[in-house]
Amino acid sequence: MKVGFFIGCNTAFNRPDLEKAFRFVLNALNVEIDDLDGQSCCPTWGTMPSVDEAGWYALGARNFIISEEKNVDMVTVCGSCYGSLSETKYKLDKKPELKEKVNEMLKAIGKEYKGTTRIRLATNFLYNEIGIERIKNALKYNLEGVTIGVQPGCHSLWPSEAYLEGERDPFHPVMLRELCEALGASAPYYSRIIDCCGMGGMRSTNVEASYKLVKTKLDSMKDEIKADLLVTGCSSCLIQFDTAQAPMKKDKMIDYEIPSVHYVQLLALCLGADPQQVVGLSTTDLNGILGKLKKIN
Amino acid sequence: MAEAIEVLNISEGELGFSDEIMKLGAEELLDCIQCAKCAAACPMVLAGFEFFNKRIIQSILIGQKEILLDDSSIWACQACNRCTEVCPRKVEPFGVVMAMRRSAIREFALPTLAVEGLKSLYDVGHAVYFSNAGEIRKKIGLPEKPPTTASNAQALKELRILMNKSALSSLGIIPMDSGLSDVTCCEV
Repeated sequence: MKVGFFIGCNTAFNRPDLEKAFRFVLNALNVEIDDLDGQSCCPTWGTMPSVDEAGWYALGARNFIISEEKNVDMVTVCGSCYGSLSETKYKLDKKPELKEKVNEMLKAIGKEYKGTTRIRLATNFLYNEIGIERIKNALKYNLEGVTIGVQPGCHSLWPSEAYLEGERDPFHPVMLRELCEALGASAPYYSRIIDCCGMGGMRSTNVEASYKLVKTKLDSMKDEIKADLLVTGCSSCLIQFDTAQAPMKKDKMIDYEIPSVHYVQLLALCLGADPQQVVGLSTTDLNGILGKLKKIN
Repeated sequence: MAEAIEVLNISEGELGFSDEIMKLGAEELLDCIQCAKCAAACPMVLAGFEFFNKRIIQSILIGQKEILLDDSSIWACQACNRCTEVCPRKVEPFGVVMAMRRSAIREFALPTLAVEGLKSLYDVGHAVYFSNAGEIRKKIGLPEKPPTTASNAQALKELRILMNKSALSSLGIIPMDSGLSDVTCCEV
């Protein structure tokens, strides 16, 4: 099997250890990667979507066309890329007049959007395409005894109409919990499971307000399920939880820290990857969790 | 002492503002009945922002453009789309917020970070870009540049042509190569 890796910006430049982890995971699960050479930013919300609807979709469509020409689906570890590109495809497929307008723009670069490929989120892809059993059978280490607080991320949940392989009930997500449980950990429900991480526009606009959401979420995870580890399905959520906790501790907003990783990083570790390469840029202290990886005989 | 309540004279609202927002992408704006389901689901409410989806829509409906231009809340929207999911009238409140941003940009009321993001998108094809990322990438065993517009001049040119074909080109927010606006077909 072959997939196109839609890397995006944050993964490539901010957390390339996550890029490394994704490459390791797909290789270990015998999935071939096409790099979709020439891809760009999705584009993210604060840029073209905030300027011009057709311009937003034209840039997204150009990314889709790279996949279409290679006849592969795009897979991303970033919720924002998944959200922006899913909305692009949803709107272009639903509104022929919009598709016509975008294709008129694309003529200038000699391209045409057909809509024959799709964007997929890594966690959904692992759950639906690889499957829990195949993941379990490939593990070299497990995480028995570890309690995980999951953070699926907004952009894998809503608007559910735009996501072809999302949750059955997006207000009660289960996929990331089951993926974590496949690694031998427990991943219980907690009351703030669908709360927003406050990254993106909110963090850029008002960091204190953004940290309020982080605190609400972390407190819920700590008090209700005593989480040893926070696992996200989105690179933006990862960056928020990995970088917000140190300044929040300094300002005495919290007096604890929950180590934070993306699911793809955690899976890479359980498949035997070198921690320096797949979680080497973490700011939260992962030593405790790394010590809990148990070798499977 | 209780805070003074500001009373708006809604007859002073900007005529045609709703039409402008609808043209900028919020086609179902007038279907809003202010039921507040969107507000109940909005993380901006939880974080304490004054203008969240429901209030933004109401302000637009009564023509209070200046209020929305003066407040940074529209830029704090997380694009989480909870509002779109729960709206019983299919107004797509998130789409209204984005249309409001498009209106604000036309008045040059946008945050510096948005300008920087657009400039970075045009310059390298990535809204988030760190020039020193190459060293970190190499350290963990990846090529200095990813296989994207950051390392592919032809692909970057394609992207810039599309940006020049969009509304961005007439706004003057970022420096753009005006020669790329005239590309019609297959001249890349």
